[in-house]
Amino acid sequence: MSHPPDRPEILDSDHLSTRTREILTSRLSVSTAQPRTLSLRAYAVLDALLPVLLPLDEILPPATDIAMTARIDAALSGPRDGWRFADLPPDAEAWESALLTLDDVAAEQHGLAFIHLAPDLRGALLDAVMDGQIGLEREGRLTASQMKRWAGDLRGEVVDCLMSDPRIQQALGISSSLTGGDTVFQGFTEVGPDSRESFEPKTTAPLLQMAESSE
Amino acid sequence: MSSTTVMKTFAETDIIDTLIIGSGAGGAPLAAELARNGKSVVVLEAGPAFSATGHTPDEVAARELYWLHERLSAGTNPQAFGGNNSGTGLGGSMLHYGAFMPRMDARDFHLHTETGKGVDWPFGLDELLPYIERVESFIGVSGPAYYPWDPERRYAYAPPPANSAALKMREGCDALGLRHADGPAALITRDIEQPHFGTRHACANCGACHQGCRNGAKSGTDNTWLPMAVAYGAELRPGCFAHTIERDSSGRVTGVVYRQNGVEHRQKCATLVLAAGAVETPRLLLTNGLANSSGQVGQNYMTHVSTQVWGEFDEDIRPNRGYPSLTITEDMMRPKDADFVGGYLVQSLGMMPATWGQNLARSTTTRGPAFARSLAGYNRSAGMGINGECLPRPENRVTLSDEKDAFGIPKPLIEHSYGPNEWAMHHHAARLLTQMWEAVGAKDIRVIDRAAHMIGTCRMGTDADSNVINPVGRSFDIDNLWISDHSIFPSAAAANPALAIMALSLRTAEAMLKA
Repeated sequence: MSHPPDRPEILDSDHLSTRTREILTSRLSVSTAQPRTLSLRAYAVLDALLPVLLPLDEILPPATDIAMTARIDAALSGPRDGWRFADLPPDAEAWESALLTLDDVAAEQHGLAFIHLAPDLRGALLDAVMDGQIGLEREGRLTASQMKRWAGDLRGEVVDCLMSDPRIQQALGISSSLTGGDTVFQGFTEVGPDSRESFEPKTTAPLLQMAESSE
Repeated sequence: MSSTTVMKTFAETDIIDTLIIGSGAGGAPLAAELARNGKSVVVLEAGPAFSATGHTPDEVAARELYWLHERLSAGTNPQAFGGNNSGTGLGGSMLHYGAFMPRMDARDFHLHTETGKGVDWPFGLDELLPYIERVESFIGVSGPAYYPWDPERRYAYAPPPANSAALKMREGCDALGLRHADGPAALITRDIEQPHFGTRHACANCGACHQGCRNGAKSGTDNTWLPMAVAYGAELRPGCFAHTIERDSSGRVTGVVYRQNGVEHRQKCATLVLAAGAVETPRLLLTNGLANSSGQVGQNYMTHVSTQVWGEFDEDIRPNRGYPSLTITEDMMRPKDADFVGGYLVQSLGMMPATWGQNLARSTTTRGPAFARSLAGYNRSAGMGINGECLPRPENRVTLSDEKDAFGIPKPLIEHSYGPNEWAMHHHAARLLTQMWEAVGAKDIRVIDRAAHMIGTCRMGTDADSNVINPVGRSFDIDNLWISDHSIFPSAAAANPALAIMALSLRTAEAMLKA
């Protein structure tokens, strides 16, 4: 199990409905015991891929783990968004095939499994995928054009996972969940620039605090 | 959906006057109008009956409002479904729509006459305007006291307050000498008692229109037409997925088979109205092999060119707050320097964070710390977006794929590729909106190439050889089959489609009463 860090303050706001609080709170404790959708090998590739795609060390406090790999793996077995690219197989199958394609290409190009590549080599492979340069023409793997499509899905899924996490919303000072409580639906009184209301979070992300203190 | 009346129910063996498939902008006004005139009406809705107070601004959970039966998207501009086009639940896509409610431009009804391209509608704005005004008056639309592009127009509600993006777009328009106004928004800005529904509260500026309005401020069908339909004796049946249309030996429709809670049901009817949208309506006709003597069912699929341009500002923008898309300019409806036909509307854009992040993620290939920093710029971001004409093209269409869904019915395949006109409009808008943001000091300006909405596939027109339905919504092939949704639009026009869908729905109801 991942250990939830300090509970984000926005979860205790009376501008949050009970349902929304429950949804956000459920994201603090995600079982990482074993993959629900992907094979162990594909899961490990995803786990090694995410930090080179979207490192969170400038956004979250040190050692905060939002279990992104486990949440994406679980989301792939849940309700999806109602459509997919016609040239990709169904989502769970596409992700498994894409991640194994990446692993096979790592072995062919570098003689190492993807998870054992140095971060800059992992990043270079991901760049090549996004450029449509990497793919395999064989059963259970994706072609270069399919890999490029999948890379868009990967990026979208990662951002979904990120922006819907209460720890990230707290760190980036995002008030989008605080539309109103159960009995009083407050909404927002101030909607113009530079008018943060007292119940809205201030940013705590290290990179944004640096930006603010320099102003 | 709630209602102040107890709903009447019908037996499946009753031959009801009108069965309607779909409870959104196409089905609901017609249901209310027919019921009000004494017809027996049943509305089948595939999705559930949501409660407004249960809506959540959490974008992942709020996808429960999207049509989630899988679609396959192809072409050189494969379209994303769900948000901005395909809803589910009593209220249809209007549960999650953005409530931006411009009227169709009079010129867009006659694009072919004007330019030699596209298709004319079989009538003009003067024909539709009385219905448009009835819709606006009944559901509640806010707008400015003076609308620069139509000075005669009046709105019953004052606009909501301008959020950061709306204010920034005003500055951008001023810098380039473009006119701007508060746009028409289908929401109310003072509390009212809605007939047959109850209290609707003034907009609280929460910004989560696309995740479902929690206090009834946004004008949907769930808090207007559907309660009215129920009050006049219509029955709404949620959780009913219609799949088979039954006919007699003469070819006329006799009823519909649908699945509810895993059980097949059959409802008999004298008249059937399809109001399931530009993908599910042709899918129903194609799987049942109906009403397609023209060969046009599923053809001429259109969208709106919906280019967005985002920038980062020095101020704390907080794009989740306030009505998302208040400022409008209609100055680009026929720009003088256009290298395309038709035109586009420009609106300001606030946005919820995951939707915004998805757009950013899919339109760029940055990674590493640079990607993290872009996402961390959410609170400093403001956008503008367009809705523009999209011409009908033979390669854009809805067909049945080889894959079956959980009901054993082929999943729809939607092919969508921009042609030269759509690309020219996209580039024109990208240039203009970038100039506007540059003029007001935006940084890290980012163009997002995207299409929104879905239109066409069961075209309305006077000629049975090239159209699926006649100019009032009736099938040329089957005289007790009607269609009432955006699938009947002959051309896309620039305006967001909900208002025209509702106006056409009232007009079709009137034709049905006379038939």
